Amino acid sequence: MKSVRVALVGNPNVGKTSLLNHLAGTNLKVGNWPGVTVEKREGRVKFQDYQIELVDLPGIYTLEPLSEEEWIAYNYITQEKPDVVVNVVETPNLQRDFLLTVELLELEIPTLLVLNMSDEAQKLGVEVNDRWLSELLGVRVLRTNGRTGKGVKAILPNVVELYTLKEKPKPLRYSKELEEVLEKLRESAQESKSELLRKLLQERQNLHYREFLKNTFGKEAHEVVKDQRYATAHGLYREVVKERPLTSKDITDSLDRVLLHPALGIALFFLVMFMLFKVSFDFSAPFMDWVEGFINGFVAPLVSMGLVSLGAGPWVERLFSEALVGGVGFVLTFLPLVGVMYFLLSVLEFSGYLPRVAFLMDRFMHRLGLHGKSLVPLLLGFGCNVPAIVATRTLETRRDKLIVISMIPFMSCPARLVVFSFFATLFFQNPAVVIFSLYMLGVFVALLTALLLRHTAFRGELYHFVMELPPYRLPTLRLLLRVSWAYVRDFLYRAGTLIFGASVFIWLLLNLPPGVKDPSESVAAQVGKAVAPLFKPLGLDDWRVATSLIPAFLAREIVLSSMGTIYSPQVEKEEKEFDLLGAMKEQAVSLGVAAKDAVLNTFKPVPTAFEVEEGEESLRQVVAKSLSPPAALAFMVFLLLYTSCLGTVAVMWREVGRSFALLFLAYSFVVGWLAGFVAYGVGKALGL
Amino acid sequence: MNLEEVRPGQEVLILNVYGKEEVLEKVKAMGLREGRRVSLLQKVGRNLLLKVNNSRIVISRELARGIEVQ
Repeated sequence: MKSVRVALVGNPNVGKTSLLNHLAGTNLKVGNWPGVTVEKREGRVKFQDYQIELVDLPGIYTLEPLSEEEWIAYNYITQEKPDVVVNVVETPNLQRDFLLTVELLELEIPTLLVLNMSDEAQKLGVEVNDRWLSELLGVRVLRTNGRTGKGVKAILPNVVELYTLKEKPKPLRYSKELEEVLEKLRESAQESKSELLRKLLQERQNLHYREFLKNTFGKEAHEVVKDQRYATAHGLYREVVKERPLTSKDITDSLDRVLLHPALGIALFFLVMFMLFKVSFDFSAPFMDWVEGFINGFVAPLVSMGLVSLGAGPWVERLFSEALVGGVGFVLTFLPLVGVMYFLLSVLEFSGYLPRVAFLMDRFMHRLGLHGKSLVPLLLGFGCNVPAIVATRTLETRRDKLIVISMIPFMSCPARLVVFSFFATLFFQNPAVVIFSLYMLGVFVALLTALLLRHTAFRGELYHFVMELPPYRLPTLRLLLRVSWAYVRDFLYRAGTLIFGASVFIWLLLNLPPGVKDPSESVAAQVGKAVAPLFKPLGLDDWRVATSLIPAFLAREIVLSSMGTIYSPQVEKEEKEFDLLGAMKEQAVSLGVAAKDAVLNTFKPVPTAFEVEEGEESLRQVVAKSLSPPAALAFMVFLLLYTSCLGTVAVMWREVGRSFALLFLAYSFVVGWLAGFVAYGVGKALGL
Repeated sequence: MNLEEVRPGQEVLILNVYGKEEVLEKVKAMGLREGRRVSLLQKVGRNLLLKVNNSRIVISRELARGIEVQ
């Protein structure tokens, strides 16, 4: 089967992703462009005898690249040379979009021009003579509506025909003088206009041609070329577009009057964020419980039953059922939360609200040396660090991305809250004050980290704020579901191996040497005892504390259950008969209950997810006896700041790279230790 | 006058775009070029919200200062 590489190219916000979603269906994939945290969306479809590989390039206004995104699009088009370019344009904005079209036509690659959002154009009184457009350029022109998918069906047949017929657009004609110069530079008939222009503008030996153009036009040669492009685009626009002035009110203007209002807009933004958190926690909580129950109550016993019947020894059986199913499974319990947050984030993105937040909040954020776009990823961090880090893909510069990614892990997430509420209620008179102070400390350390980075690794001016606010659009449920599923799948697929590896490693630490019965005899305990002196200045010289941090690397809240097993190893596991059919029925019923609870929770006015469950009484007593209040405070501070979360480390590793992830992990450990040390001292001085 | 001095709600014609910043090429490609009409919708903090043709563009005040309008 022949494969055809197709690039979707267009300005930002022209609906390329929606088109890709219609074309690729469930084969939509999201990921990263190699080496950079810029999102790559792609899809693969079979059509007739062809395998069509669609790549959605980052949105660009011109082929003169500045930002990371623009470089990616530029390099892809000029170096990897797609077989067919699908140039998606926003019909209401052809005056602007035609510049890129002209630049793409210079490449003389088979091109399909897609007039997207033709419905919006109609409402705005914009009429396009697409036949005349097609004739002028020698390209096929299609009309689509990216939202409903109307007209999208015609794209693939046309792509295949363009590919098989090698149908090139008509060469563009610039002014006589420029064309003459370009012809002199031509060495073969195959050279495209874009290659000739590159020779003219960049090659040293062609200086005299540039001088000639400068003398003729009174401008630098590259300015001459630019002017000609603009003139061509403008001429094209005047030829094919008619705009009837309409008096009807634009919905976007009306909405913006409220949502971008300097005071009201900010209040509404916080309301939107509150709703985002409330819905993501309350809707996902019952599913998270269900996943946990499903893994521990169904998958784990099933796997161990299967292994026993295959004749596996008890050690192998436990490795699979505990390390694989238990460890990996624990990280998976966060998937419903991550998935729902991705979904809601996609709603904000595709509706056009997200760029408005950046505009609205930039006046506060830029005082911190950050772009307005940084706020949403930072706030998402309070929900879950994993989608928050992925959300930094919307930031434009690498500098901003790295700074924000370094701040996010200090935003306290619900996993930390579980630990805080256990310790704070156990040791302190005013647990709410303690927990609130911890959240504030996290924000403070995040700001401090940003300040540190801005004065060391990322010096330099804050770049200019230039962005477009797209019109508000109602995204379809299908698009949102597919995109959020693509995110979840990407997380599983790429972070999966790392999560699996770390789970097995941690399990081995806890269960080696073979035959270990009591955690105090395990390798983990040896490690815990070895590093215990390190925690002595924090008042945590008990080896059991250090040891409990090892399994807690999977996720912070595990620290409670691991303390449970380490402090009181006598707790026996319940042995139950496992009945496959009964268990399946039970799981199905509880999934139904979870779905019902999720819907009910979402409509309750008060967030239910913050209702804290009481820890086990026995554990509370043992822990209360073994720690002093200042030491407990130090422990909470340490766990707040140290990135004891496999999911976060895995996603950082994937987004920015291994060395960054490991360096940050070490940094967070040191910061956590130092802050814990100070907290212990302050706590003692206050006589807690 | 320059674009920063324009009052919200006012529509003006761009006469010239000055400045050496690379980002100006992007700004021009977004439609802020000489000969285009632009209306100022809002000023928030260090940024301006503009409407050019059918699109809404945000640029910072520093850039707006280099855009001559009438």
